[in-house]
Amino acid sequence: MFWRILWRLLWASRSRLVLALVAVTAGAAVCAALVNLDLDAGDKLTREFRSLGANVVVSPAQSAGADSTMDFGVMSQIDSLHAPEIIAAAPYLYVVAQAGPQTQGSAQAAPVLLIVAGTWFDQVAWINSWWSVTGRRITDRGDTAECMVGQEAARSLGLTPGSQLTLRSGSREATLSVAGVIMSGGSEDSQVFVDLTTAQNLAGLNGRAGLVQLSVRGSTTAIENVMHRLAGALPGLDVQPVRQLAAADGRLLERIRGLLFATVALILVLTALGVLAAMAGLALERRRDVGMMKALGGTVRRVMRFFLAEAAVIGILGGIVGWGAGMLLADLVGEQVFATSISPRLIVLPLTVGLMIAVALAGALPLRLLGRVRPAEILRGE
Amino acid sequence: MMAPLVQVEGLSKKFGSVRALGDVAFEVTSGEWIAIMGPSGSGKTTLINILGGLDRPTSGRVVVDGTDVANLSERELTRYRAEKIGLVFQQFHLVPYLSAVENVMLAQYFHSVADEAEAARALVRVGLGDRLDHLPSQLSGGEQQRVAVARALINQPKLILADEPTGNLDEANEHTVLDLLQDLHASGHTILVVTHSPAIGRMADRRIELAHGRLTQIVVNVG
Repeated sequence: MFWRILWRLLWASRSRLVLALVAVTAGAAVCAALVNLDLDAGDKLTREFRSLGANVVVSPAQSAGADSTMDFGVMSQIDSLHAPEIIAAAPYLYVVAQAGPQTQGSAQAAPVLLIVAGTWFDQVAWINSWWSVTGRRITDRGDTAECMVGQEAARSLGLTPGSQLTLRSGSREATLSVAGVIMSGGSEDSQVFVDLTTAQNLAGLNGRAGLVQLSVRGSTTAIENVMHRLAGALPGLDVQPVRQLAAADGRLLERIRGLLFATVALILVLTALGVLAAMAGLALERRRDVGMMKALGGTVRRVMRFFLAEAAVIGILGGIVGWGAGMLLADLVGEQVFATSISPRLIVLPLTVGLMIAVALAGALPLRLLGRVRPAEILRGE
Repeated sequence: MMAPLVQVEGLSKKFGSVRALGDVAFEVTSGEWIAIMGPSGSGKTTLINILGGLDRPTSGRVVVDGTDVANLSERELTRYRAEKIGLVFQQFHLVPYLSAVENVMLAQYFHSVADEAEAARALVRVGLGDRLDHLPSQLSGGEQQRVAVARALINQPKLILADEPTGNLDEANEHTVLDLLQDLHASGHTILVVTHSPAIGRMADRRIELAHGRLTQIVVNVG
């Protein structure tokens, strides 16, 4: 009987309920889109931030004295943390070398001193994805035949992609092909980037690294947690944040998240007001029916159950349809803003439906107030 | 001697400073048909509302089938209405979006469990076997009132209270509803009818006459 009466109620009031349903569906669509964006784009935003460069640096402790390098085993130790927040880790070994383009038969008359940075190109590709490269970017770890040259160094040495470059440090020498020229706008422009093994050979420091740059994603707290774990796993080494960047990442992410939640809260309130407006008219129409039902012996609880179920149905229907629309909206925003598709998160469906049921029940306040109707007053025609 | 089904003693009701009923007392035996008569504003509807548990007395005692209505909580009053009272109103007061049979089932639902077959039988009994699925808007006034009578009877109440049940009906429908009330009386139901109609007053076993909220006389109809 309950479902039969509920169906009759819904059908009889369909024109007014459609207004409430539209309000709930629209609210659900925007909420579902924003929550999905928050869940999915959180990762994507972090990745966007992380392309701005490393935000944590591991280096030998200052108390280590003259030894400015550390054992290369540090990379295995970082790996063994299995921290998903660490997007990339690039070891660096810096060597001052004499450089000059290889000339046929003899070395260049006036060799230029420059800084050679040995690293893992596959990791650098993640951390410094913002570099502008003319020619080709090296992305393979262990590529000892090629190098990348900063634009200042390339200009002073007359190098272009495809040129040969010989680097010398003491009696050690390496001849490499220039794959690409880097334009970073920073100190990298005057450096030469080679594979870590090449730099270790040039420096005669096999198995050593000067520092490790890490790209860690997440909020300020998440980044601090990872640093704390690194410090614990790497005794004798300094773990330092690139402070401005790490803090800015976290702050921006938190602000964006705060903005999203404030918007969701505002939309929920507006949706409840929309439902309230539709239900207020309905409550007036139903006053007499409620008085009648109570006169017949219907308890407030039993009578109100019809109207609250009606509101819940609006919430469920609006929530499901709105979720579908919200996923399309999220994808559209993802494409437009982040240039990437947003994956629908299933958890958003029950969350949206739950929120919409709560909003519809809150908006059904005028119907809930009908519980106070006194049957005698209604039957007297007051 | 059998205890009276309804006992009213020193019943008063005030709405603010306005006295609707004052010191009313009477008894009704099970199976009686009582007509409550009097001019407008004499307190007839207030009396029937108090007997039906829709209003509370300001003072006095109202006992129906051993239940002192004046002392019931809101929840107990609701239960009292569902179990002991069948109400019929001048305005019919059917739920407009429920069919005839569903309006009857609604009373069953609030009482205990809805039973469609039983509700349909009640409508057949009042001559509406071919109108079960009609909405109130698809029924004539007389038919709506018969649905209301079927609804009032469905839970076998101890007391049927009817407030001007023929007040909105034409002559033909008035006769139909009166015949129905007579049948109910003949089958042993206790009926209290508020009416302005002298004809109904004469059909009842007794007439309770009110004026300005006071019981002026009780007339026993003979024959």
